[in-house]
Amino acid sequence: MSDPERSSAPEQPAEPGTLAARWNVKQRAGGIAVPIATVLLAFFMGGVVVAATQHSVHKALLAYRDIFNGAGLNWIFHPTTNLLDISAYNLSQTLLQTSTLILTGLAVAFAFRCGMFNIGGQGQYFMGIIVANWIGVSLVGMSSLPHILLALALGTVAGAVWAGIAGVLKATVGAHEVISTIMLNWIAYWFGSWLFGDGGPLQNSTQPTIPISDQVSPGARLPDFWGAQGFQGVHVGVFIALAALVVFWALVNRTTLGYEVRAVGFNPDAAAYGGINVKKNLIRAMAISGAFAGLAGAIDMLGGTTNYQFGQLDIPVSQVGFIGIAVALLGRNTALGTLLGALLFGGLLFGTTHGLNSGAVIQPELAGNLTYIIEGLVILFVGADVLVLWVWNTPRRLFRKRAKPATSTAELPA
Amino acid sequence: MGDHVADELVLEMRGIRKEFPGVVANDDVSFDVRRGEVHALLGENGAGKSTLMNILYGLYRPDAGEIRLNGKPVSFSSARDAIDAGIGMVHQHFMLIPVMTVAENVVLGTEPVRNGIFLDERGADKRVAEMAKTFNFAVDPDAFVEDISVGQQQRVEIMKALYRNADLLILDEPTAVLTPQEASDLFEILQTLRREGISIIFISHKLNEVLEIADRITVLRRGKTIETVPRAGATEASLARAMVGRDVLLRVDKEPAQPGDVLLTVQDLHVRDEREIERVRGVSFDVRAGEIVGIAGVDGNGQTELIDALTGLQRIESGTVTIGGRELSHPDARTALDAGIGHIPEDRQRRGLVLEFTIAENIALHDYAQPPTARFGWLFPRRMIDRARTLIREFDIRGGGPQTRAGGLSGGNQQKLVAAREIDRDPKVLIAAQPTRGLDVGAIEYLHRRLVTERDEGRAILLVSLELDEILSLSDRILVMYEGEIVGEHTGEVSEEAIGLEMLGGREPTAA
Amino acid sequence: MSTWTARLDNPLSARLRDAAITGYLGIFLGAFAAFLAIPPIEARTITWPILVGIVAMLLGVWTIARGRRRLGWGAFAAGLLGIGLGVLATYSSTDNLNQAFDATLVAQTLGATTPLIFGAMAGIFSERSGVVNIGLEGMMLMGAFWGVYGADKGNTWVVGLALGAAVGGLLALVYAFFAIHLRADQIVGGTAVNFLAVGITGYFFVQLYHNAPVPNGVPLLPNVSIPGLSNTHFLGAAIGDLNILTWAGFALVILTYVVLFKTPIGLRIRSCGEHPRAADTVGINVYAIRYACVVLSGILVAIGGVYLSEGPTGNGTFIFNMSNGLGFIALAAMIFGNWRPAGAFGAALLFGFSNALALRLQIYSTQAGTLFRALPYVLTLVAVAGVIGRTVAPAADGKPYVRQ
Repeated sequence: MSDPERSSAPEQPAEPGTLAARWNVKQRAGGIAVPIATVLLAFFMGGVVVAATQHSVHKALLAYRDIFNGAGLNWIFHPTTNLLDISAYNLSQTLLQTSTLILTGLAVAFAFRCGMFNIGGQGQYFMGIIVANWIGVSLVGMSSLPHILLALALGTVAGAVWAGIAGVLKATVGAHEVISTIMLNWIAYWFGSWLFGDGGPLQNSTQPTIPISDQVSPGARLPDFWGAQGFQGVHVGVFIALAALVVFWALVNRTTLGYEVRAVGFNPDAAAYGGINVKKNLIRAMAISGAFAGLAGAIDMLGGTTNYQFGQLDIPVSQVGFIGIAVALLGRNTALGTLLGALLFGGLLFGTTHGLNSGAVIQPELAGNLTYIIEGLVILFVGADVLVLWVWNTPRRLFRKRAKPATSTAELPA
Repeated sequence: MGDHVADELVLEMRGIRKEFPGVVANDDVSFDVRRGEVHALLGENGAGKSTLMNILYGLYRPDAGEIRLNGKPVSFSSARDAIDAGIGMVHQHFMLIPVMTVAENVVLGTEPVRNGIFLDERGADKRVAEMAKTFNFAVDPDAFVEDISVGQQQRVEIMKALYRNADLLILDEPTAVLTPQEASDLFEILQTLRREGISIIFISHKLNEVLEIADRITVLRRGKTIETVPRAGATEASLARAMVGRDVLLRVDKEPAQPGDVLLTVQDLHVRDEREIERVRGVSFDVRAGEIVGIAGVDGNGQTELIDALTGLQRIESGTVTIGGRELSHPDARTALDAGIGHIPEDRQRRGLVLEFTIAENIALHDYAQPPTARFGWLFPRRMIDRARTLIREFDIRGGGPQTRAGGLSGGNQQKLVAAREIDRDPKVLIAAQPTRGLDVGAIEYLHRRLVTERDEGRAILLVSLELDEILSLSDRILVMYEGEIVGEHTGEVSEEAIGLEMLGGREPTAA
Repeated sequence: MSTWTARLDNPLSARLRDAAITGYLGIFLGAFAAFLAIPPIEARTITWPILVGIVAMLLGVWTIARGRRRLGWGAFAAGLLGIGLGVLATYSSTDNLNQAFDATLVAQTLGATTPLIFGAMAGIFSERSGVVNIGLEGMMLMGAFWGVYGADKGNTWVVGLALGAAVGGLLALVYAFFAIHLRADQIVGGTAVNFLAVGITGYFFVQLYHNAPVPNGVPLLPNVSIPGLSNTHFLGAAIGDLNILTWAGFALVILTYVVLFKTPIGLRIRSCGEHPRAADTVGINVYAIRYACVVLSGILVAIGGVYLSEGPTGNGTFIFNMSNGLGFIALAAMIFGNWRPAGAFGAALLFGFSNALALRLQIYSTQAGTLFRALPYVLTLVAVAGVIGRTVAPAADGKPYVRQ
């Protein structure tokens, strides 16, 4: 009936079925080496684009050096807390960018753990901004700490609700969360445009013609811990983001909620058999996912010196929600991976827009677009799991004669 | 008996050998079909019937052997080749597109064209209608496949083959999805096809059908051809003996059973599947503490649905299930678990385990939210791991420790893991469905001994298996299931052939 | 086919009993109820919209009762909406109404609809063959930039159109490789495509035009002037001077329908999207068909993108991220139209109208205009939620096919 020789071979299904299982395979396949390789490949191709269009390989290399400096990573060579030092300043801004990306990355990562693709981080982020702005601008009389906490909390809730809509739709009528979240992204965008636009309820009191919000009242602003006069300092939002990483890790690995979410993500049939309510978990997972993104928006609103602007055609609107997808995928949906991915993209984002500002190497406008290209390449490569699986199986193929033993006679055609 | 033309051979398969990793599916199989005959291919699960036909249809390449069509040697590298050579196959799982019409499904890939570019819908309809009339199919070409009955869908599959001028038709377990009425309609159609000169290979495991429709019968067993006989002279008993008789493998050493109280009672159970076809038709039995009741039967006779109903995964249409004296009404998985049912599912990878979870996490699958594993929603992995460690030792699970991914274990150890989890919950009734499917000898032996041990601990064990060996060696009492009903009950010594016969729908002839 | 002729033979009452007809009639009447209150009819009392709207709602209820839920609810909603809008319009001043609703609104609607048509048909081809294409937005953007670049350097709009289409097809080919050959996750691949397109078009825009806008005088896609029509007051302004791509778009809808539902290749495409294994067993090359359809979708949506920059609204300029969500609206139109050309066309019209109206409504308030921009997405969300009946994607949509 069965071959005794096979008794030690692991028994796997032919192809991992669920979304979460597939990403898990990728994580195990090659560990950290594959994400690093992906990033290097993407950067390499970006470099090729620069070299080809600037007609100089040297310039491409210089461009990368400038990105590195622009991100403030050269700070490690001569650390200082003086924010007037360029590298320190750059690093500080990179940290700010990173903390936002940590949160939007966690949003995507958490949903993925439950087998769902939350592409709506951008919209949930907007909702966080909107609600935090509203609270921050209106309740002027409140004392600082409660004001901040309230704004953060409600911003988080706003993101959770926004994502929860998609979760409910998926659980009840089976609507695909990708479609619903994409729609919700744009609804949030136009909703925000209306709110902050001409005649809108949250419109800026001094600049009515462009869709821009009012300044949050000073009492509601997040305090800086590394600031300098006249500069945008690094606010405590960074700590909140780091705390969120810990919360994410704890939720996923140390709570019954996390257990259920992961079970549903890996194998809904077995989860149901174990008594887990699949639908409830789909909704919960989306809501928590949206909460992270909403928190990101709230922090950005309360931390920045600039008000939030919703774009007309020519004003670039923040893309942090979408970059969060790249961060999560690169980080394989884990807490540590998200941190590293956020650092990478944060550095890249800030480094390209500011490091290449001098125009000596390549024009700053090119730099911003270079970022998009690199981001796109990373996401593209990350999505090709067959490639990864193939690489993962190479050693196995070389060392064993049979690729995959059939698992049972009953499964074989009889 | 058919009055078909001379014994002209339309198909010859000689010395076919096909090996898959670890298994020889076809071992020097020889088989031929005469023009205009209905030739039945008979065998149990795992006998090699489907493999042989997949080779014929071009889906597999044989490792050795020769195929001749109408005298000429052929070699197929794809289904297309086989279709072009005039072979048509009606699979068990239909290859039909539900949202398209009958006519569209039939002509797909070889569509009639009007004016060079347009689909000739009316032409297609006409041709399909003509074909339907010739063969008496009673199918409307304009109907959508999702709207017609299963029997009619099968006829569409047949028409697909005929449309491509098949003169050799392979039907793979065609009556598995049909009602008795539809099955007899099918047989009439087969007669009509025969009259038109089409040769038919009929794969089945049902003796009564085979004896009704076939001209000749070839029996396969464990990859080998056993015999080829004409219908005249064959009886259910003789066929059953050919199919089932074998060298017996393991017999488990066990003490005679000491049955105690009734722990599981099933009374007049009726269960329908997703297509509303009744799969369990009035089944009643009980299982006592300290006994193993085995349900024997060929795959697809309602065992799966029976188990699903008992474990709360499938709705019960009518009838009752009582566990330990408490009657369960409309149980779901949770209720069944709480009532004291343990279940080793037949598909351990889909239902039984979360392969991406560790051993420890899988062990906790039913009660991860209970103390001591968790309190107030907070998980204590250390406790999960400790519990897992104990069970790993007790059940001799090899291949890793508590934090090894379940997917990294061999099949046998995965099954031990499932068994460990279920038994550790101290169920009253333990249901084991195909517990040793796909396992090596060592694992099989272990699980068999374990089941006997649990029986001796006083559990009521319900064993469902497709392997007659297993049933015979483990069970204290054997029930035979055929087409949703219990058709036989045996205690003590009983011959394999008798059981085999009942499994295949036959009955032991009463002493003459 | 044969059932349609049977229908025509039946008496009028029997036809009315046909639920589909009453459903569509209800939707039409609902729209008409609002239409009554705006120019050119411009009824000034609320009785008219209300009466007509109620009839529409009743027809909707009847249609639901006859089993056509989606259509019936659509009619009911249309009736309700029509009453609301119609009443609102009667409260508005005639001056404003005349300004907002004139013949040029029709022209602008059709103009706004044009890129959406190309996008929606593109999406239909791709998804009907079984490949989800979220990257429509990015491919449209590629068409917008490379279209104007080609027209600029080639000195004719033909080169622009060709270049834009080619680049769109190329990007689609890359996507197809990842989605079909490597069996990568298609949503992830589509998102990547969008990022790449933004980056590539932005980068080369700066690089090739040295950080300056596209110079004036780039040859545009021509408009088609219908002779004799310019005399008539309404029709002349409405459709007398539409762009060539707008007319091409109408043709595309018909072409898509014919190809998908009336030709053998269309049957095969649809089979790949519904049940690729069944298609494979009858000898259809699923991979080849999917590749072809994805590349085609890239070409088509890129043409729609060329309209953005090279058409009357674009005027030969390119703006960073010019597509700005239109690709997603096209996707929404495809979903809302249930993956059928006629339905998607209707949805595209509706969404195009909504966008065009949004600009017009600025005379009332900028806010109303902005909120209107969200309407396509809200409608699609409602559709996806199954409130008005299930949207049914091709069964194998998004699932990579593995040959065995």
